[in-house]
Amino acid sequence: MALADETRVPGAPRNSALDWLYRREGRQIIGQVLIVIILGAFLWMVVSNTIYNLQKQNIASGFGFWDNTAGFDISQTLIPYSATSSYGHAFWVGLLNTLLVSVIGIVFATIVGFSVGIARLSNNWLVARLATVYVEVARNVPLLLQLFVWYFAVLKNLPGPRDSIQLPGGSVLNVRGLSLPAPVPQSGAGMVLVAAIVGMVAMIALNVWATRRQRETGQPFGRLLPSLALLLGLPILAAALMGFPFTFDYPVLRGFNFQGGIVVLPEFIALLLGLVFYTGAFIAEIVRSGIQGVSRGQKEAARALGLTSGQMLKLVVIPQAMRIIIPPLTSNYLNLTKNSSLGVAIAYPDLVSVFSGTVLNQTGQAIEVISVTMLVYLTLSLSTSAFMNWFNSRMKLVER
Amino acid sequence: METALRATGTEPRSSRHGTAVELVDVHKWYGEFHVLKNINLSVAEGEKIVICGPSGSGKSTLIRCINRLEEHQKGRIVVQGTELTSDLRNIDKIRADVGMVFQSFNLFPHLTVLDNLCLAPTWVKKMPRAEAEKTAMHYLTRVRIPEQALKYPGQLSGGQQQRVAIARSLCMTPRIMLFDEPTSALDPEMIKEVLDVMIELAQSGMTMLCVTHEMGFARSVADRIIFMDRGEIVEQGPPSTFFNNPREERTRTFLSQILNH
Amino acid sequence: MKKLLGLGLAGAVAFAGLATGASAQQKTLDTVKARGTVNCGVAPGTPGFSNPDDKGNWTGLDVDFCRAVAAAIFDDPTKVSFKPLTAKERFTALQSGEVDMLSRVTTWTLSRDSAMGLAFAGVMYYDGQGLMVPTKLGVKSAKELNGASVCVATGTTTELNLADYFRSNNMTYKPVVFEKAEELNAAYEAGRCDVYTTDASGLYAQRLRFKDPSAHIVLPEIISKEPLGPVVRQGDFQWFTLVKWTYFALLNGEELGITQANVADMAKSTNPEVKRFVGAEGEFGKGLGLTQDWAVRIIKGVGNYAEIYERNVGPNTPLKIARGINNLWNKGGLQYAPPIR
Repeated sequence: MALADETRVPGAPRNSALDWLYRREGRQIIGQVLIVIILGAFLWMVVSNTIYNLQKQNIASGFGFWDNTAGFDISQTLIPYSATSSYGHAFWVGLLNTLLVSVIGIVFATIVGFSVGIARLSNNWLVARLATVYVEVARNVPLLLQLFVWYFAVLKNLPGPRDSIQLPGGSVLNVRGLSLPAPVPQSGAGMVLVAAIVGMVAMIALNVWATRRQRETGQPFGRLLPSLALLLGLPILAAALMGFPFTFDYPVLRGFNFQGGIVVLPEFIALLLGLVFYTGAFIAEIVRSGIQGVSRGQKEAARALGLTSGQMLKLVVIPQAMRIIIPPLTSNYLNLTKNSSLGVAIAYPDLVSVFSGTVLNQTGQAIEVISVTMLVYLTLSLSTSAFMNWFNSRMKLVER
Repeated sequence: METALRATGTEPRSSRHGTAVELVDVHKWYGEFHVLKNINLSVAEGEKIVICGPSGSGKSTLIRCINRLEEHQKGRIVVQGTELTSDLRNIDKIRADVGMVFQSFNLFPHLTVLDNLCLAPTWVKKMPRAEAEKTAMHYLTRVRIPEQALKYPGQLSGGQQQRVAIARSLCMTPRIMLFDEPTSALDPEMIKEVLDVMIELAQSGMTMLCVTHEMGFARSVADRIIFMDRGEIVEQGPPSTFFNNPREERTRTFLSQILNH
Repeated sequence: MKKLLGLGLAGAVAFAGLATGASAQQKTLDTVKARGTVNCGVAPGTPGFSNPDDKGNWTGLDVDFCRAVAAAIFDDPTKVSFKPLTAKERFTALQSGEVDMLSRVTTWTLSRDSAMGLAFAGVMYYDGQGLMVPTKLGVKSAKELNGASVCVATGTTTELNLADYFRSNNMTYKPVVFEKAEELNAAYEAGRCDVYTTDASGLYAQRLRFKDPSAHIVLPEIISKEPLGPVVRQGDFQWFTLVKWTYFALLNGEELGITQANVADMAKSTNPEVKRFVGAEGEFGKGLGLTQDWAVRIIKGVGNYAEIYERNVGPNTPLKIARGINNLWNKGGLQYAPPIR
């Protein structure tokens, strides 16, 4: 493109419009306009062709099905749902189930990953070796296989409903899941909720204050017990004052199953375990390489200053390792979210199972259903990325 | 054994001031490699020692054994009356008394200069933040860069960074300072500003062990110069004897290489 | 991740197929003839209907129907390429042209005819949804199943019938929805569910796979109508007719007593119905885009309907399912074919 400028014969008649064609900016604009036109034409062709063919083959199109009655049941519903609800409703149930297992999975995978990552660098031979074995096994066995192992391990080891394991507090564990007593609020329960919120806010305030005090005075403040007291004590106190305004809906064996209470499905447990231990192993490796990526000199300087190894890790190593850790950590969070779709294999009713499984088959509208599903995963991925980018830039800012 | 006798024999001030560091018969191996051989060294309080020698002679390893960044496998190391064993309490005690400055500065890049200086006093000595900041500013003034307190290490020149590193060590009010080639990573025009700070520190009476090739600094500051080669102390003595009248052939070769450079 | 990939792939295939329109605009029969094989979508593993052995040879009622179509076109029942499809994948695969037809225990319903661009060419097997429970539960009737956990395959009419049945009987249940039969079986055997439900024929087939088949009983209630038959795309009438009349030929063959063994002799028959069947009279093959002896080829290749039934699911097979409503109309059943005339 630059050559065009140089090869123009000096003194040749200048046509301003043609001249523009020989400039780099001109060429770039022309190129981009052409690409847009070609892309647009291609998309138009694909879409119009598809619509034509769908009509010709008498396949329904559009989102008219969204409000039709679904007619099937779902085993885990976070919002009220029954067979008489609409397909659109089923979509939200599936989406919430996906989000539930993903969010909880991310939290636990992070905890497992950081613990194991640090353990791998431990001076304790046994701890380090165990961590290595776990990481190697979990990373190198396909997730689907791990899910089956967890699922059938869970199922095989739990008794049938009639031989259920009774847990303290009225909870029941059996092959149908873990049934917990569900609190049913009575009058005055609102106060307890308020107390719980106040307690949570107070706990955060206490921790901020304790951090500042540590900074200002160097005096450490035991924050664990007061935090717990605020978080749990305050609502319990409020409940006591209001005369315990809750009754509990205990799971009761009626017919085939325990009825009532909150049920944690074995499918959920197996999927969560699978996702956590699979992703946790990858996170452990990221954490390990992040920590090892912090130069030895940093650790020596910290030790030479007399910091304990815990302080060294917390104040010097981890803050620096985070900058290395965050980008790959993000992609593992995204992977976990996407991998949760494997839950369909072990009957976990996630978005893929409910929406692009059952709904797709009942309506036959593959293009609409798949498009919506892909859009959902795209949105989840992009928003996780956006959040992690923001977090990353915050961590980076600290350095410069 | 001969070197051992000589080391203790040529110690003039240990009786007057008390001993800061005592190494007796110290050996260290990296696998098969015998990196420290039979090191005997006694450093008096307030004494300034310069350790020199070709690369790989074990001089860095020697001073890194003193605050246990490296472990010795045989012999005894006693610092300020406390023996370095695997007892973690002793190690913590000694590290609080011994400051160290590294060739590559090793400032914490995620913290400001001021936070770099306050970190150890607040967390290790449980010093109130206000007091720690006061101490920090005091030492930053001493190394002549108080105006850089709120910058990050990445924004400073090498010389400034090394001065911050010295101030960071001083904030823990150590009784002994170890310098591991503090000027080797610096551009020539910055070496002087760091050496000036070290000279000032020496004049204040600090016990210092410096691994350095700055022979000018050694000549003007050191009470004693130690020459190491292949893990052994080959020769030691006051600068005048060491530079003008070295006894050993290896010392002469080294000096001719380094001075005629 | 893998699942999503599969999903994206299914979407892409559907999209590509529908966008290019290769499937709809070309005549399927021409495509099949040019290719030399019929691409037939079958169930991945349902004993008696479509089941591969360890050498990859497929057997079953649905499989034999695929072979009958191939025999009619090529005079060679082996010219079939079997594509195992899960319930979830099947319609997309057909719509996008990945297979020429489905012959995989698929239920004929209104919405599949009206909104999904599918055309059912007949009912190879009249089925109904059944329920299976472990014998030790002591359940005798489906009406006793209130509150039960039910294992069911995703993407099937079964899933909907189940909801309808429990709702209409004022009972509740907990669905546990699996994508593949293997996990469904394993979960049911591990006690995850009280009830296993699918088409009754499928229940008998699956029961055979359990370690102890006698530990499970199929309840007497049939809770739905499940007419299972071959499916093609809408928009290619010639292909639809060919598949439909392949099915009718199997029935007419049985009705006329024409079997794999005697079909060669039947060419000499004086019975006008038989003469039309074997192509000695009339020009019926031409209208279908086939040869005169198209029906002979079918019987020669796979036998008549009765032979196919007895070979795969009848009383002498492990499934031991009586003909029942799948008998010919004149023997008390529902199977009825229009005449060749």
